[in-house]
Amino acid sequence: MRIAVAVAVILVSACTAEPQPPLVATDVVVTRPVPGMQMSAAYLSLTNNSDETIRISRVVSAQHESVQLHESIVKDGIARMRAIPVLEIPAGETITLKRGGKHLMLMRPTGAADSVSLQFLDGDNLVLAVDASFEPTTTR
Amino acid sequence: MGPKNFIVAIVMAIALSAGIFIAARLQAPVELRTAFVLPAPTPLPEFALLDSTGNTVTRDTFRGQWNLVFFGFTHCPDICPATLQILAAARNEMAASGQDPLPRIVLISVDPERDTPAQMGRYVDYFGDNNLGITGSLEETLKLTSALGIYFEKQPGDEDNYAVDHSAAVLVVNPDAEFHALFSGSHLIENFVHDVPLIMAGG
Repeated sequence: MRIAVAVAVILVSACTAEPQPPLVATDVVVTRPVPGMQMSAAYLSLTNNSDETIRISRVVSAQHESVQLHESIVKDGIARMRAIPVLEIPAGETITLKRGGKHLMLMRPTGAADSVSLQFLDGDNLVLAVDASFEPTTTR
Repeated sequence: MGPKNFIVAIVMAIALSAGIFIAARLQAPVELRTAFVLPAPTPLPEFALLDSTGNTVTRDTFRGQWNLVFFGFTHCPDICPATLQILAAARNEMAASGQDPLPRIVLISVDPERDTPAQMGRYVDYFGDNNLGITGSLEETLKLTSALGIYFEKQPGDEDNYAVDHSAAVLVVNPDAEFHALFSGSHLIENFVHDVPLIMAGG
């Protein structure tokens, strides 16, 4: 199921002696919109291998007009969706974006594409680039 | 959603929770994993909404088969498709293990402003055959949700970019068009596969 392969290109790496990239994406899953809709979701795990908190304030997609960081919260039987202004990944920790939790909302695809190129930014600084294929449709 | 309807919904939710709690106590030990069967099934109220072809949906539409009913909206990228996928996968597993008849999956829009009948139809069809998507006027939607203790509330946002908070529960409506049982909280395929056939068999 979750075999979408992510190629993570780390562009922020000041120290060449550091063997591990500071931020690594794994288990990337990108869903396609339900027919007729203009939105879908992306899920992944982000691991911070550095000694400092990494902040992601926005995400852009080469194949979508807009990407929003969201969190679904089910509390007291009520499902809610809220924007995440800044996603913080503490040093040494992994933040998992998953169904029913934190996720990327991909809005208004700009055309038919087989894969999605995501850029994770802190302000204008590119922190991580991820290419991922769509998950296969498994519902039918 | 007006304050009066909100209060009605809250009162219904509290009454429902109390009923479910008592039912759970009375029936213990229960074989069901997560579902709660109501002590007395509650008839659906009178309402008039629309199916994907624009035909009127009333409580009679629910008669004659078991229904798994979820409240959601199509401009929802995460919880709603995830829940429908879970229900569809659960129904497939039930079919594979010989469950007959199978329950119908029903999505009722809590965003009737944006969800047209045709859009609801495309949406539910994506998750399998024989699903039912229902939308209509806000007023008629509230008749149904208020009676069932289902909460929903449109959140601030742009004209075409807003979320709707809504109850996450999946309701089981029996072939007599009565609210029969409830799955609340986090939904798992195996819980539906385990509990739904028991409920349908009179568990």
